[in-house]
Amino acid sequence: MDRRTVLKGLAGAGGLALSGGLSAPAIAQGASARTLRFVPQANLANFDPIWGTQYVVRNAAALVWDTLYGIDSSLVPQRQMVESEQVSDDGTIWTFKLRPGLKFHDGEPVRSKDVVASLTRWAARDPMGLMITALQQELTAVDDRTFKWVLKQPFPKILYALGKNNSPCAFIMPERIAQTDPFKQIGEYVGSGPMKFAKGEWVPGAKAVFEKFADYAPRQEKASWLAGGKQMLVDRIEWIVMPDAATAAAALQNGEIDWWENPIADLVPVLKNNKNISVDIGDPLGNIGSFRMNFLYPPFNDVRARRAVLMAMSQEDYMRSIVGDDNSLWKPLPGFFTPDTPLYSEMGGEILKGKRDLDAAKKLLAESGYSGQPVTCLVAQDQPITKAMGDVTADLLKKLGMNVDFVATDWGTVGSRRALKTPPGQGGWNMFHTWHAGADCTNPAPYTAIRANGDKAWFGWPTSPNTEKEVSSWFEAKNLDEEKAAIGRLNKAALDDVVYAPTGFFLSYTAWRKNISGIAKGPLPFFWGVSKSA
Amino acid sequence: MLSYILRRIVSTLPVMAIVALFVFSLLYIAPGDPAVVIAGDQASPEDVERIRQSLGLDRPFLIQFGSWVWRILHGDLGTSIFTNLPVSTMIGQRLGPTLSLMMVTLLLTIVVAVPLGVVAAWKAGSFIDRAIMAFAVFGFSLPVFVVGYVLAYVFALELEWLPVQGYTPLTEGFWPWLQNLILPAVALGCVYIALIARITRATMLEVLQQDYIRTARAKGLGQGGILFVHALKNAAVPIVTVIGIGIALLIGGAVVTESVFAIPGLGRLTIDAILRRDYPVIQGIVLLFSFVYVLVNLMIDVTYTIVDPRIRY
Repeated sequence: MDRRTVLKGLAGAGGLALSGGLSAPAIAQGASARTLRFVPQANLANFDPIWGTQYVVRNAAALVWDTLYGIDSSLVPQRQMVESEQVSDDGTIWTFKLRPGLKFHDGEPVRSKDVVASLTRWAARDPMGLMITALQQELTAVDDRTFKWVLKQPFPKILYALGKNNSPCAFIMPERIAQTDPFKQIGEYVGSGPMKFAKGEWVPGAKAVFEKFADYAPRQEKASWLAGGKQMLVDRIEWIVMPDAATAAAALQNGEIDWWENPIADLVPVLKNNKNISVDIGDPLGNIGSFRMNFLYPPFNDVRARRAVLMAMSQEDYMRSIVGDDNSLWKPLPGFFTPDTPLYSEMGGEILKGKRDLDAAKKLLAESGYSGQPVTCLVAQDQPITKAMGDVTADLLKKLGMNVDFVATDWGTVGSRRALKTPPGQGGWNMFHTWHAGADCTNPAPYTAIRANGDKAWFGWPTSPNTEKEVSSWFEAKNLDEEKAAIGRLNKAALDDVVYAPTGFFLSYTAWRKNISGIAKGPLPFFWGVSKSA
Repeated sequence: MLSYILRRIVSTLPVMAIVALFVFSLLYIAPGDPAVVIAGDQASPEDVERIRQSLGLDRPFLIQFGSWVWRILHGDLGTSIFTNLPVSTMIGQRLGPTLSLMMVTLLLTIVVAVPLGVVAAWKAGSFIDRAIMAFAVFGFSLPVFVVGYVLAYVFALELEWLPVQGYTPLTEGFWPWLQNLILPAVALGCVYIALIARITRATMLEVLQQDYIRTARAKGLGQGGILFVHALKNAAVPIVTVIGIGIALLIGGAVVTESVFAIPGLGRLTIDAILRRDYPVIQGIVLLFSFVYVLVNLMIDVTYTIVDPRIRY
């Protein structure tokens, strides 16, 4: 081999590349106008909405799989795949009939046996599903379009459970897919929703493509969140994952993408100044910031220490660390439930209102017996929200005279370490930060973080019998007034015992090109009714 | 030569084995748990544990390592915990963009850096030399992502000449392919252009002092011939070495560049896999990168024999 041979080889390879490349076609203009290019909030790394319960998976799944009922923008479940339902007088036997003409993407009709298998798999992973399963006598297919759910005692929230938008949603899959172990991932992505998943074009972590399902039979009612007619006005939706926010902002300004689900607050002013871009609140249900204190170990095994932190904390500090100076993006939250929703309550919220009393908080902390032991505070630095809140908390604890062991790490590590029940000095923890989607905090059903049943509760393992009692009261409530009363008492009990510390309510923006219309505000991006002009 | 290449390839096997053991052990002891990520924020500890069991992550280290090695020996890199796709398929999807980026960057680097270095050496001490070396200092100093943002702002947002992000396969046309790679390649190439230009200058300065160069001048040979035929040929060995090292370093640089320009390459796949603790993907990519490093070193050694016939193995 000599130099000339190498050079000839290189030239040949270059020529081959050129000759092969020049003849390729470009995308036609019409196709571009029928394709919606969307940047989701996160990477769609898997696509089983029961196995993986991340919001981004649910959002994509809502295109491909349909639900029996759908929550509308008033938070009321409406029929979706179901044509009618009947309930026995004692409330224990539910008989459902499916709409005619429902088809899966493989051409097979949707049958009751598919519904039974899907609900069985969903119920094994969903908190409300588990509650129904505990009451279940049988779930059977009566005929191809009718199925029956027989319970040992009434479960008034059953339609809400079937239509809720909290993850995991009760998506209906073909029986052969739904029979997969709920703790194992499905391998086929066949649904009966308005879009088909183009598995061949899926580059996990980079791109997911959905194509219009020609045989989809939308309802005739106007679309409202997961309810009503899911009319698709584009033929193709491309989910383009962009890890860098500045790149996404530039791509939106340049017209390379059409809709960016979650622009970060820092870049919103730039987008607002662009005449081709619309910016508005994406999800009116927003998010609730929180940090959780570990009930198992000192100092936070004493309610006085937990209340001392609550007395001293300023929600405004937390919220400004997340949203900056934009006052329209946050609200104080003297409670646990999503503001401006029917069950919102401030009962018992005095401890979070008014001027912060650091001296009283210090006194209460001293009464709890705190004597300077390290407080292990886990803070995920790769999540801007938790990082911002963690910095505020560290400052707060120092002002209270606490000895802060600030563990700056990534979300993956926080996720596994928070599950440890060992003492803080042996790998455990005292506090960690997170946030909850407002849609999950409208009532206790999907609200795992509000539960206070000790060992069975969410991380931090709070114990508060009064809180649990009022959760049960809500489930048993027969009308809205009873529900409201139960939630008021629940809010007070959870604040009295400090199940967790709410740091405030915050909203975020969504942004799109002005040639896109029909974007609805809601807890997830709804693509039905969205159109694109050239 | 052929036996030398074969010997070198065989000698990579123990290297790869050590890398495999090292990577597997490191991931095993590293904090984090993919089951937690899969289960989502609202999952109960029991759900997380059941997912761990279904993924086989609760098995002892030696059993996990043994079954992984067994699969590797059968040419199976495993299946991604998250996507349920074979790791080889995921790597295959990402190979094209990364190779394209590296190829264009390397080409750009060589085409720009070597002439710059030669000219700087030729005009040593002059304004041109100082300007080139000042550029080299800038190239070294500016982080890739800063250069990337500035380039995207100027050439994509302001001038609208090139796209901000993305990747188009070569099969969809040469220009669509190239236009997505120009900005990332320039951003990524800056540091390597600086490095290679400096090395070329230093080596050329030494060669230009040699007697045979003086002889060539005395015989009336043109400046171009002296610089690019006689001098550069004899300065090539260290330049080739640095270019080879640069190829290896490009892999690391591609991680940042692919994120800034939203190129779906191996760099982004690596970052995503690490953040989610997708162990089979991390292991597969590290093995691949290790193999590429070894291969690049072998190619450099072979290239020596082409640029300098005195070198024989």
